[in-house]
Amino acid sequence: MTATATRPQPAPASAGRTGKRPPKREREGAAWVFLSPWVLGACVLTLLPMAVSLYLSFTNYDMFNDPSWVGFRNYVQMFTEDPRFWRSVTSTLTYVVIAVPLQLALALAVAIALKSVKRGKGFYRSAFYAPSLLGASMSVALVWRAIFNDGGTVDNLLSWFGLDIGGWVNKPGWALVAVALLTVWQFGAPMVIFLAGLQQIPGELYEAAAMDGAGWWRQFRSITLPMLSPVLFFNLVLQTIQAFQVFTPAFAVSGGKGGPADSTLFYTLYLYDRGFTASHMGYASAMAWVLLVAIGIVTAVLFRTSRSWVFYANDDNEGAR
Amino acid sequence: MLRNRTRVSCALALTFTLCAALTGCGGGEGGGSGGKVTLRFTWWGNPDRAARTEAAIKLFEKKNPAIRISTSFAGFDAYKQKLATQAAGGDAPDVMQLDYRMINQYADGGVLLDLGRHKELRTSEMDKGLLATGVVNDRQYAIPVARGSETVVYDSVLWRKAGVPEPKLGWTWDDWADAMRKLSRSKAVEDAGRVGGTDPGQSEDVFEIWLRGQGKVLYTDDYRLGFTADDLARYWEWCSGLRKEGAVSPAEQTTQMDGSVENTPLGRLKAVSDFNWDAPASGFPAIVGEGVKLAPMPAGEDGTPGQYYKPSMFFGASAKTGHPKEAARFIDFLLNDPEAGAILGNTRGIPANDSIRKAVTPKLEGFDVVVSTYQKQFEGKLKDPPPAPPKGDASLQTTFSRDYDQVSFERMSPREAAENYVTEAKAELRQ
Repeated sequence: MTATATRPQPAPASAGRTGKRPPKREREGAAWVFLSPWVLGACVLTLLPMAVSLYLSFTNYDMFNDPSWVGFRNYVQMFTEDPRFWRSVTSTLTYVVIAVPLQLALALAVAIALKSVKRGKGFYRSAFYAPSLLGASMSVALVWRAIFNDGGTVDNLLSWFGLDIGGWVNKPGWALVAVALLTVWQFGAPMVIFLAGLQQIPGELYEAAAMDGAGWWRQFRSITLPMLSPVLFFNLVLQTIQAFQVFTPAFAVSGGKGGPADSTLFYTLYLYDRGFTASHMGYASAMAWVLLVAIGIVTAVLFRTSRSWVFYANDDNEGAR
Repeated sequence: MLRNRTRVSCALALTFTLCAALTGCGGGEGGGSGGKVTLRFTWWGNPDRAARTEAAIKLFEKKNPAIRISTSFAGFDAYKQKLATQAAGGDAPDVMQLDYRMINQYADGGVLLDLGRHKELRTSEMDKGLLATGVVNDRQYAIPVARGSETVVYDSVLWRKAGVPEPKLGWTWDDWADAMRKLSRSKAVEDAGRVGGTDPGQSEDVFEIWLRGQGKVLYTDDYRLGFTADDLARYWEWCSGLRKEGAVSPAEQTTQMDGSVENTPLGRLKAVSDFNWDAPASGFPAIVGEGVKLAPMPAGEDGTPGQYYKPSMFFGASAKTGHPKEAARFIDFLLNDPEAGAILGNTRGIPANDSIRKAVTPKLEGFDVVVSTYQKQFEGKLKDPPPAPPKGDASLQTTFSRDYDQVSFERMSPREAAENYVTEAKAELRQ
């Protein structure tokens, strides 16, 4: 908890500098030189495409012919005439609501279990983190499809127990669960962050609580959760944003179509479908901007609610409001 | 303090993730070729077509040591998506295999090279009527490779075992539906865990043939819908009825179809028959066994044939290729070289080149013979093929099967889905 030391100090505005340091202008120049690779990348690879995409969202660009201006037509069409747009919103929200809490719960549970491991902590940490590295890849998503297909591992295992569901990926209700499980399985990143957060909780708190006769559950609720709430909040925000943008697993598991019956037609998948399959790039750009705004709103709401449940131990005068 | 750090990292992470959302992914590829010209050639097809195409390419490289061909192939659905992305990014392969439903869109979009201006590519021996199907806006943007027709592929061993009379030329859709019911109810088929055939509701191709059997068309000559929501609702209600009876494949099987023979119900050994094009059906014997036969598509109630000879696929070259001459020479080789013709056989359909067809036909073996005989029985009996579908059709084909998914998973009534499709199609064709 020594964040103070690393905090950048604002440079005094006065020009009364002596000797050693070069003048401010020159220092700024040097800063820009060092920043240039990043700034260039940000401008050319991020800001410029963003600007172009904003422009395209007001056109009927179809990738082959020159775009022509259509005003807000794409946006109006999206909200008033496109039932698939709403289907994609519904399936994305369902997915976020299922996958994010499950993933965070699992990450927290494993982190707590790992905290008390005495030997081989590094090994377990890496082992649990590995799926996060693998899971984003197309190949694992394809394997996932095979596992949950009819005649796949899960199907065979379940029918052995007398549950004949068949292939999950070909059933509208179940396909989404299969995709969500793939995400939940990749709990490595939040787990590592939880682990770091857990280790920062002072041991005295637990000792004192134990003295007062608090059991494991009481300690978890009254010490671990409040002390961990900033980290929990951080993970929640990050995972929610990522969940809204899920693409690869749904693309591979549903064979690129968001099927069966649009049940895994996530927002980004529909965006891709509009842009690259139906060549309505203008419409797809408009969808991208709606997603950006929607994620912005959701994040703002999360930040808003955080005031009532996130506890910052070190901010004496703010604390939990 | 932690609060501040968390805020800052949150904000940073936020920025990155949001930016990633908008800019999407990018990629490119470099190609080095030590003094040689390298052409990229992509196609869709089954492993049999891949093996023969590779053999023909080896021969071409031997005859033209200065040209190297780098290839890739995929199933139809995956190919369609990848090609659309490449074409839009200005990175279309030098030589590509195209479908009838693609050429209007790509020619209009300036993706394709005018092949008529490249004399390396000879077209004098091509079937004139077929050659004209590759003309868009008076330019030869694509060259038809072969002629194909839709068919009912079936496992004749199981079909006979079920005691159902085998299909013959002139059978109607009612006959077909009866056969499906009888097959599904028979002990032999039930024991094999199969049903009669593929649910035709998901296929725009089959719907078109069904329509034509009633004297209607998918698209009018001025690129509007040639049918009404009533027609489509009637079709989907009929399909849906058969599905509920268990005569055709259930939704879970039908939804897995992706344009490859492997993922059809027949290819997964869950059905006795399937609708497919005749040339790609050559992928079935390897999976189903040697009893694979081709039956004509059912005709309308008054005997009107719905199926037609379709240019099964085209070759086109990219307007942006750095080597238009070599690309033209390569296409010429695939179409006009007798040795190449012997290797390729009927893997893309009956060759469009008349002299190649005459030279090749007596030497054919295996499934190629089946395809030849299959097409021969229609000579002079089919109606004219429809003109090249409008450019919106490439995506409507997907919409069609997706909307039927809503019906087969019983999330929409056939009527609702049909209204939906017609609305969507009209919007798509207007654009």
